[in-house]
Amino acid sequence: MTDDNKKEAALAERFEKAALGFARDRNLCADILVEFGTTQRIVRIRQGKVEEILDRFPLHFPWAFAVRAGTEAWEAHWERFPAPGLHDIFALAKQGKMRMEGNMQPFFAHLQFIKDMLATPRKEA
Amino acid sequence: MKVHIEPIVGRYAHYAIDGRQCRVYFEEAGQGIPLVCMHTAGADGRQFRHMMCDPKITANFRVLAFDLPWHGKSYPPEDWTGDEEYRLSTDLYVKTIMAFCEALELERPVALGSSIGGRILLQLAHQHGERFSAFIALEAADHQQPWYDTSWLHRGDVHGGEVCAALVSGMCAPQSPLRYRMETLWQYAQGGPGIFKGDLWFYRVDSDLRGKLTNINAERTPLYMLTGEYDFSCTPEDTMRTAASIPGAKVTIMKEEGHFPMSENPDNFKTYLMPILGEILSRAARS
Repeated sequence: MTDDNKKEAALAERFEKAALGFARDRNLCADILVEFGTTQRIVRIRQGKVEEILDRFPLHFPWAFAVRAGTEAWEAHWERFPAPGLHDIFALAKQGKMRMEGNMQPFFAHLQFIKDMLATPRKEA
Repeated sequence: MKVHIEPIVGRYAHYAIDGRQCRVYFEEAGQGIPLVCMHTAGADGRQFRHMMCDPKITANFRVLAFDLPWHGKSYPPEDWTGDEEYRLSTDLYVKTIMAFCEALELERPVALGSSIGGRILLQLAHQHGERFSAFIALEAADHQQPWYDTSWLHRGDVHGGEVCAALVSGMCAPQSPLRYRMETLWQYAQGGPGIFKGDLWFYRVDSDLRGKLTNINAERTPLYMLTGEYDFSCTPEDTMRTAASIPGAKVTIMKEEGHFPMSENPDNFKTYLMPILGEILSRAARS
């Protein structure tokens, strides 16, 4: 495993620990691909709760949408006070540091849930 | 029990805007130089409550904020039949502001606005600069790059209020107090269907002011431009590029502020605003 692979795996693990169990009162049921560099996870959300995060899944797994970014973008986004331009997923996307792909309807319909879930590893005071 | 009651007074004014009769809600506090405040797209005049409740401001300024028709407590125009797609244009926005100032007989007010309210001040400075005594344009530029498809703001399978609030949530600085960030977002969650999108027609489609601001005289009517470092919609670079094309425009980039300085981090914002109001007061005393 290269240093880059280790860094990606550590970020994915950090995300799993923070996001698993994240819940809001809403009727979101979806499987979402989250990518840390080349390391991928499937986030399984059922009735507004992150029920499971898969590190192994079949090729062509039918995820609804994907959120992809490199390790530096995720690390910066998870700072307690992220720097300007790194503090929001759209700010990252505007600079080409993050990509959202797939069926954007559930993404926009549950946007605050998605934003907050993706930010769960953010450092607290 | 001692109850704190704010000095803000809200009233309704009836007058025509571009030939259509409107019932416009506005709030005000203070006395002195009129200071008319323009809210951001999809929001309303509540964004200025902190300025209206600060005696250091209201001792010398009559702070007024109106809700654009279709926003906040201002209804759509009285002849609205429900089958009209709301779209704010540059021309209508200018007429709306001028109609308010004329209806309330405000003499050479100071104009302050944020986002679309900042952009329109550039057009006002170009078109009607002599009618105002100063412009304070927040989060303003002559143009900026779009960063999402506005069709998501108004469609049947996405809750309009939720998506509007969620989209702009990232435009607040992370240091801004949570309470004030949430108040700011709540206004977006309360907006009428399609209204934020209709405001952005002005912002995205109808108001590319690049190369069109040649008539601004910042010597006669000072132009202050302030942008938050966390605003990735109207970036500090957008504001600085715009100011560089306007002789005499004064630019400040605000630390720990995003797109909504007056409502998301009001105390911090006042540290930038008060020196400007001081300059305006001194200038008024000299004239």
